[in-house]
Amino acid sequence: MLREILIIVIKKFIHQFASPKTYFYQVNRLYPWLLYISLFIYLFAIIWGLLFTPKDFVQGHSYRIIYFHVPASFVAQSLYAAMAISSAVFLIWRVKLAAYLARSIAPIGAMVTFIALVSGSIWGIPTWGTWWEWDARITSTLILFIMYLGLISLHNSFNNFDKADKLLAYLAIIGFIQIPIIKKSVDWWSSLHQPASITISDKPSIDPSMLYPLFMSMIGFAGLVACLVILSSKVQIYIREKNKSWVKDHV
Amino acid sequence: MKLLLPYTNEALKLIKKTRAWIGPILIFILIMVAFPLTVELSSTNLSDAFYPVLFISILLVMMLATEDIFLEDYEDGSLELLLISNKSLSQWVFIKIFIHWLFIGVPISLLGAFFNIGANNDLNSSLMLLPALGISTYIFLILFCFGNSLSLTKGSVLGTLITLPLTLPILVILGKLTSAIIFNINYFEFLILLFGILSIIIFAFPAIISRIIKTHLE
Amino acid sequence: MESSYLIEARQLAYKINEVKLFSNFSFTLKAGEALHIKGSNGSGKTTLIRILCGITPATKGEILKKDDLVFTYLGHKNALKTYLSIRDNISLLGLSKNEDLKTLLTSLNLQNKLDVIIANLSFGQQKKVALLRIFLSNSDLILLDEPFVGLDSASHNLLCKFLESRLNNGAGLIYTSHISAGIASKDISID
Repeated sequence: MLREILIIVIKKFIHQFASPKTYFYQVNRLYPWLLYISLFIYLFAIIWGLLFTPKDFVQGHSYRIIYFHVPASFVAQSLYAAMAISSAVFLIWRVKLAAYLARSIAPIGAMVTFIALVSGSIWGIPTWGTWWEWDARITSTLILFIMYLGLISLHNSFNNFDKADKLLAYLAIIGFIQIPIIKKSVDWWSSLHQPASITISDKPSIDPSMLYPLFMSMIGFAGLVACLVILSSKVQIYIREKNKSWVKDHV
Repeated sequence: MKLLLPYTNEALKLIKKTRAWIGPILIFILIMVAFPLTVELSSTNLSDAFYPVLFISILLVMMLATEDIFLEDYEDGSLELLLISNKSLSQWVFIKIFIHWLFIGVPISLLGAFFNIGANNDLNSSLMLLPALGISTYIFLILFCFGNSLSLTKGSVLGTLITLPLTLPILVILGKLTSAIIFNINYFEFLILLFGILSIIIFAFPAIISRIIKTHLE
Repeated sequence: MESSYLIEARQLAYKINEVKLFSNFSFTLKAGEALHIKGSNGSGKTTLIRILCGITPATKGEILKKDDLVFTYLGHKNALKTYLSIRDNISLLGLSKNEDLKTLLTSLNLQNKLDVIIANLSFGQQKKVALLRIFLSNSDLILLDEPFVGLDSASHNLLCKFLESRLNNGAGLIYTSHISAGIASKDISID
């Protein structure tokens, strides 16, 4: 008896949470908080990192682009992981909202990957003497960028949205293999890229005075990008649910 | 014998549709024969450039071979019939890919190893190259079929562009393999790696492709 | 509850991109019955048949089938390989050994054309070859989407006679047709 009640409660919860309408209103309430807090954290981290940390022994001042490059790179990969998980949720439980979310992450992910590539190139000029090199990590990040573009173009080429959602989901899940490839590529192939400075087990090889602003900038950047994803998902909901009465009332 | 029936059916279909089968092989021969001609014009060493040209032309030819691989069956209604008749669609996809590999991938691997003898005058490296080519043609075929199935109704260009990024890691492995062959180190490890990748995707991808095709039929 | 239905549809609805195509569509089909689905162009008749086949999932509603229901379907596409001959297509479908094949080919006027490539046949002739599969089947339920288009009157009568005899043997039939079929059937409109 208790089991049946529990199942009904869980189903109702998932059903409610998975409704685009609920998501929309919850997210609207959350958004200003997220925006201002992340903006504050990120700006604080940037100012700290740019002005108040010491010069690097080898690279001088040019290493400071790390505060743009590393958060962008990290967020680009995390966004793909989020998209893949969202796609899996959509395929298994048929939650439409997950499909909207996956579709809205794709362009943001493309943009963030582009920032990572460009900031990496800018960093490369003083450090390695070249702005491009076909080493493992750069190439696999470029592949990530192309995959984001491929996902967007795949979804846009279908008029039937249900079909487009499912195909996007399949491609996102299969393409997930490249995330571990990116992470491990630096370990497997010797390249210009330095090995990961922050691993789970070892002591970080980067000086603490630079580490803290780095962490803060990662968190702040992630928050800002999450705001962008929220905006993008709201647009998706407007487009896809435009015939529903609550959207018409809202707009 | 009854079990072999779907294989022979698909083989019959492919044989009769000769342009789909001989075409890629001829294009491969054309590229590999044309390449030494361009080497005359530049000053690079023939054997240096051989392996990259070989792998890229295999990539290109596999891409061509999978153009419209599912489109024909989609358009004339055979896919719907298959879906209704309770037969396993993923098994059919597996058979189709296997037959294509048998008729296109295997000859190309043999030809590639043969051209290697001509370019590098080395029988041993050709023998080492052959299984690697056989496995990688199968992997490319599977990946491009996956891309083709995604853009089944919208033309094959989109699909191949989408899956091209996924093939790049395989090309990297092939590159490492060539240095392994040339210097005769670690060869078996790379071969096992390729074989491992193939063994994972050879059964998983037909299932995924069949799901994607079902989505298209809706 | 014992019920002799072959297939039953309850409140089927279908939407494309949140736009409703049809809704609240229900029927019951028993053995030996024929159902003629009517509707204007674009009203969803083909989609409905595809939903009943299981190709397209319905947005709402359910379909109940008899256990182990075997059905054959012929839609707008012929499921023939256009670059192969009639003979090859028949062997691909696994129908070469069928004992009724020869007489059927003669009555369809195809017995002299067995080695002709499908692409070189006329539209009506291709339709006749596609119908071979239906004629030679022995299923419980036959689903046909515009089967009479392109058939000459001899073949039209042949198809009607075949369908009536199958109905008398306890099969079920669901079809759409603009052309009047001449088969006793229930009519239902999808509009």
